[in-house]
Amino acid sequence: MAEKKIDLFEEEEEFTLDEQKKTVDLTPENARFFRSEGGLISLELTDEGETKVYERVMLLRAFPITNPDEFISVREPTKRKTSRAKEVGMIRRASDFDEATNVLFHEELDKRYFTPQIHKIHSIKEKFSFYYWDVDTSAGHIVFLMNNPFNNIRILEDGRLLISDIDGSVFVIPDPKKLDAASYRRIEAYL
Amino acid sequence: MKLDYELLPADQEVFDKAVGQGEKRMYCLPYDVEGDRFVNGFLVITDKTIYKICEGRLLATYSIRDYRSFRAESMYGNCALYARKDGVSTMICRFISGKNLSRYMVICKACDLLAEGNDLLVEDSTRERFCPKCGQPFIRHTNICPNCFDRKAVYKKLWGLTRGLRLMMSFPVLVALFGLIMRFAVPYIQAIAINGYINPASGIDRSGEMGTYLLIVLSIISLDVLYRALGIVRSRLSAVSGNRFAMMLRSLLYEKIESLSLSSIQRKSTGDLMGRVNHDTQIVQNFIVGQLPDLCAQAFSFVVALILMLVIDWRICLFVFVPIPFVVFLVYKFWKHIDRRNRKAWILRTRASHLLQDILNGIRVVKCFGQEEKEIRRFSESSEKQADQEVSNALIFDTIFPLLGFLLRLGSYFILLYGNYKVFHGTMELGTLHQISTYANIMYEPLLFITFIPRNISNFMTSLSKVLEILEENVEITDIGLPIDIKIEGDIRVKDIVFGYDSYNPVLQKVSVDIHQGEMVGIVGLSGSGKTTLINLIMRLYDVNEGEITIDGVNIKDISQEALRSQMGVVLQETFLFSGTIRDNIRYSKPDASDEEVIETARVANAHDFIMNLPEGYNTIVGEKGYSLSGGERQRIAIARAIIHNPRILILDEATAALDTETEKLIQDAINKLVKNRTTLVIAHRLSTLRNADKLLVLDDGHVAEFGTHEELLEKQGIYYKLVMAQQKMAHEIVPA
Repeated sequence: MAEKKIDLFEEEEEFTLDEQKKTVDLTPENARFFRSEGGLISLELTDEGETKVYERVMLLRAFPITNPDEFISVREPTKRKTSRAKEVGMIRRASDFDEATNVLFHEELDKRYFTPQIHKIHSIKEKFSFYYWDVDTSAGHIVFLMNNPFNNIRILEDGRLLISDIDGSVFVIPDPKKLDAASYRRIEAYL
Repeated sequence: MKLDYELLPADQEVFDKAVGQGEKRMYCLPYDVEGDRFVNGFLVITDKTIYKICEGRLLATYSIRDYRSFRAESMYGNCALYARKDGVSTMICRFISGKNLSRYMVICKACDLLAEGNDLLVEDSTRERFCPKCGQPFIRHTNICPNCFDRKAVYKKLWGLTRGLRLMMSFPVLVALFGLIMRFAVPYIQAIAINGYINPASGIDRSGEMGTYLLIVLSIISLDVLYRALGIVRSRLSAVSGNRFAMMLRSLLYEKIESLSLSSIQRKSTGDLMGRVNHDTQIVQNFIVGQLPDLCAQAFSFVVALILMLVIDWRICLFVFVPIPFVVFLVYKFWKHIDRRNRKAWILRTRASHLLQDILNGIRVVKCFGQEEKEIRRFSESSEKQADQEVSNALIFDTIFPLLGFLLRLGSYFILLYGNYKVFHGTMELGTLHQISTYANIMYEPLLFITFIPRNISNFMTSLSKVLEILEENVEITDIGLPIDIKIEGDIRVKDIVFGYDSYNPVLQKVSVDIHQGEMVGIVGLSGSGKTTLINLIMRLYDVNEGEITIDGVNIKDISQEALRSQMGVVLQETFLFSGTIRDNIRYSKPDASDEEVIETARVANAHDFIMNLPEGYNTIVGEKGYSLSGGERQRIAIARAIIHNPRILILDEATAALDTETEKLIQDAINKLVKNRTTLVIAHRLSTLRNADKLLVLDDGHVAEFGTHEELLEKQGIYYKLVMAQQKMAHEIVPA
């Protein structure tokens, strides 16, 4: 099978308006993920008898909060705008793939979805209308700032808390009631 | 924006060791994430190499010339810097988004240049969000660090602003001081009365001096009356002076906001600006005429009471002070607790009201989908939670607050105890005891609210500096020395312009185009390709970064803004009509237009017929609260508004995008009447709107992709051709031939 190496950065993007692109379901049968030379993820995709290698693909979760391991969109970065990407296909369930591939997925996804867990809240102080959170997280000790607790603490249906700071970092508390008493007392006022 | 951070000493050492001879350090940025940990890393970029240094260790080096396509990708909770070497992508480092993304965007551009061998030092004027001195973020939407701004300068400016109102504004302070004298004088006079008359020392008969006694009583009463009377005058005067001051501040602010360029206004949200005009001036007003005089009086009375008591009997002061630290501590704790509870109640309240607003706004949707029950349940749950919280807050507050008041006065009981002892032993007179215990209460009172003072002051300072910031902002787009009032003919020449709302992200790159007088030019392109931006620049709502735009050979920067705007007419996609009559809206750009002109213009815009069908004709109120017009009707009024002053240049920005075919035809017809003898620029998605365009300009990602007549572009079979084909195909599918 002739492999066609596509260098997406040299390829000019097509001007599409109504061309409907079909979605490819990525399964272990048609897709092989492997670590690229640069330490990222490459994809070899066989679709309609044609094999294409994508040097780098990005994995994006459709439901990063409620369903992180299903419906993962695999995209190739485009040249035009940073952070924009074109869909190559979709992984229905990560668990359909073997363990080694899953390790690869998780490495990439953990980087992309960086949400440290908060273990302990040392203090929440208000100063000049900013809230300073001094916390211990799974990623280490940090002081982060928030400007309005009302908009930045999300209580999820399963009881988890998602906390966003002014810099776009996101922290998670799996179950606030399981924090130590002092930490819980500090955060309780905002729930 | 800072692009060259200081390295920590340990990292500096590492860098010094690693760096090659003759390499020039150019940039240094922090990065914060590695694996699943927060770290304190740095990326040092020289003209040849990128060094990745973290906590005293050199983690990696990248030779810049080998790499291409640097890009900063925003992910979730963090971002990453990528680059490619021989077609292989690699991740260089990860960092927290908000602090550094824009820095890395600039650095990507800089690295791309370095990779090409161009060691031009890239600079960026995007403003910082954090104070460079203390790291505290600036007050939202401002450049003010709440920590280290110059308070003295602020006070000085405030003083300047009070000119003309000073006398009136100083009155409340005077009255407050007078009240203070009252408060101290009354117990003193009472002491004289008690000591001398009610309970005179034994052996003294004062029965013959009833007159003097009456005089004393009368003076107490008249002092009180005077105090109340002055109080009334004070409130009336503060109402006047406070409101005048706030009004002056508001109109100054508003005047300034109107004169600011669109780019500095758009950096601030409407809500923020409204907040500054309404809310912040209110806070400043309240503080100056309300809290400040009280604060002065209280601080003063504390000191005076203290001195008086020391003079009367210094030992007794000890008893006054014993409970103070204890009580202040309790007061502090109490307010902190109440504060927490209030905040919780506030959050619940906001949540409930948001929910209500949401449901009411979407009431049609709720009913269509038959979800009334669910929404009722949702709302009642949320309002029940709120009520529970408020009840529990009230219970706590109403129990503890009186108790606190009692504790606060503990000191007076000590005084009574000690004083009585002295009175029994004849070393103190009863009246003096009364005097002292009253003074003690005067001292205690402000302590109950002492914890509010720092917050009040800081709120006031924040609001004041926000107001001042706008007042002092430089007007970016200004007419140069001698602006020219030209009579515009309509030749527009755009030459090599570069422009971006953020400097690292240009929206238009090297755009050049010549538009001749009287031409109708259609502008086509995908959304985000820079169509509206180009038009904003031609209207000079923003100034270009590079290149120039000329009208009739004159740079638009040299044309006075009044001359420019008064000879341009604009119709936008979202037609905003002001609250007011149709007549007022049409006359907006020419307030002295006669009724005949208004009707004439409305006819041209095909608006006359529907206006005549409204019961109040041209006097119908439209806008936010007025008669609800359809999109097409509003659009036609907007067109009339754009042409009433007979502009030489007419701009239509997707003016027909949201309309049905019938209405579009009407508007199309109006446009066809309009374009005669005018230079017209039309942005449109529907190519049929551009049927009569003399020339078409196709923009693609900030570049001019194609420019020419309809036929020329079709022949070229480029982007325009594809668009035409696509729309034709769509039309055929809808209406089968």
